[in-house]
Amino acid sequence: MTTKTKTSKALAALTQAALALPGAAMAAEIQSDYLFSYYKEGDISGGNKGSGSSDRFEIYSHMFRVVAPQDGDRAIGLNLTYETMSGASPWYIAPDANGKPQVAMSGASIREERVDVQGTYSLPIAPFQTAFSLGYSTEDDYEAINAGVELELEDDNTGITWTGGLGYSDDSLKPTQGAKPTSITKDDKRSITVYGGAAFVLNANTVVQGSLSYQNHDGFLSDPYKLAYIEGQSPVADSRPDKRQSWAATGKLRHFLPQYNGALHLDYRYFHDDWEIDAHTVEIAFAKALPENLRLTPSLRWYSQSQADFYAPYYNAPRSDGYASSDYRLSPYGALSARVDLTKAVGPWAIGGGAEYYKASKDFALKSVDVENPALIDYWSVQFRATYRFE
Amino acid sequence: MRLNLFCGALLAVSLLSGCATTARQDVQPWQRGTLAKSEMAWEPDPLMAEYRRQVQYSKEAASGGATIGGGGCGCN
Repeated sequence: MTTKTKTSKALAALTQAALALPGAAMAAEIQSDYLFSYYKEGDISGGNKGSGSSDRFEIYSHMFRVVAPQDGDRAIGLNLTYETMSGASPWYIAPDANGKPQVAMSGASIREERVDVQGTYSLPIAPFQTAFSLGYSTEDDYEAINAGVELELEDDNTGITWTGGLGYSDDSLKPTQGAKPTSITKDDKRSITVYGGAAFVLNANTVVQGSLSYQNHDGFLSDPYKLAYIEGQSPVADSRPDKRQSWAATGKLRHFLPQYNGALHLDYRYFHDDWEIDAHTVEIAFAKALPENLRLTPSLRWYSQSQADFYAPYYNAPRSDGYASSDYRLSPYGALSARVDLTKAVGPWAIGGGAEYYKASKDFALKSVDVENPALIDYWSVQFRATYRFE
Repeated sequence: MRLNLFCGALLAVSLLSGCATTARQDVQPWQRGTLAKSEMAWEPDPLMAEYRRQVQYSKEAASGGATIGGGGCGCN
């Protein structure tokens, strides 16, 4: 075998790895990753807060991942996440004397932990590279078991790398019983996710990927801790349909700019669900290689969503279907976020850090928003991460 | 709306297939060194990408993409 042929095969393998989706990617050696993140939400501003604590959530996260190749074309992976969360959460929204929505926050600070374990096993099942996953997540008031399979097929005739996946999650809720009553003591929901995608090399400096995904949620989809204000009544429990279907179309572009020694990343996602929410997400990043094995990646993200058809900041009268929710996550808004990441490779190590600031506002929405939900968030987060490759 | 999404998907797949058929002949394996750079990965840092997906999933109404995701809520 000539050197050129060997090089070509090696590059083809590397390119295949670059085109692969994370769940099905094969590792060449044992790789371990650790990530620490601190996340802090900004307090509710005085003009929007009615009652309760204004201190919102802060979250400490530790994530650990190890991927070990076996017999060349198989790999086993383990992901472990441990998070501690504390802070107050929006409870309900009521109008003030002028009709302006005000947030009533949950009184006492909530404290809880989340542990999530995910295992994956990748192996070739002709003609596919296949990855199976199984996971378990637990919080004080939430428990979930999930399983999935992802397939990848490289078509030598067209050069397209086809991918697809099927996931299932079974979640149980047992709301913490505290000073404030919850709408349920126990319930559950089930979710199915299906996606299909294709990636291909457009030219020597450009790759693109397109994908479609579908999600089906069935069960208790309301928030047991939240209430909705209806004029002339005591606040009622947050109540949403018990079924939800959503679709998303995603496109990604990676284009290398030799003159800047870096790659432009451009991602777009369109989302629609049968609660009549439409959402657009655009993210642009530039991953630039610097001297001393440094990589700097600044990025900007814009997100905009319309409201769920049954949402209102508060209600003047009950809806005929009985639904009611003032959750800011179902409200119309837009969000801008900016982040920067820096990574340095030192032998088998890669050490990095990053920071992000996110702000949601009616002013960032694609379409005009009449009444902004006063509980919209802003947050900042910082990360440290380390990777070690066992040669 | 669903029809529009379906038509968009068909168009996207058709474009992908057409472009790929052309691109396959133009880019030889030994010309793909740039594509293998870490800067060109869909997710240069998968753990970071997973963390950001979890945060966005718990704060925004939209989710979905070329991933089956994990479990748990992490909501508040």
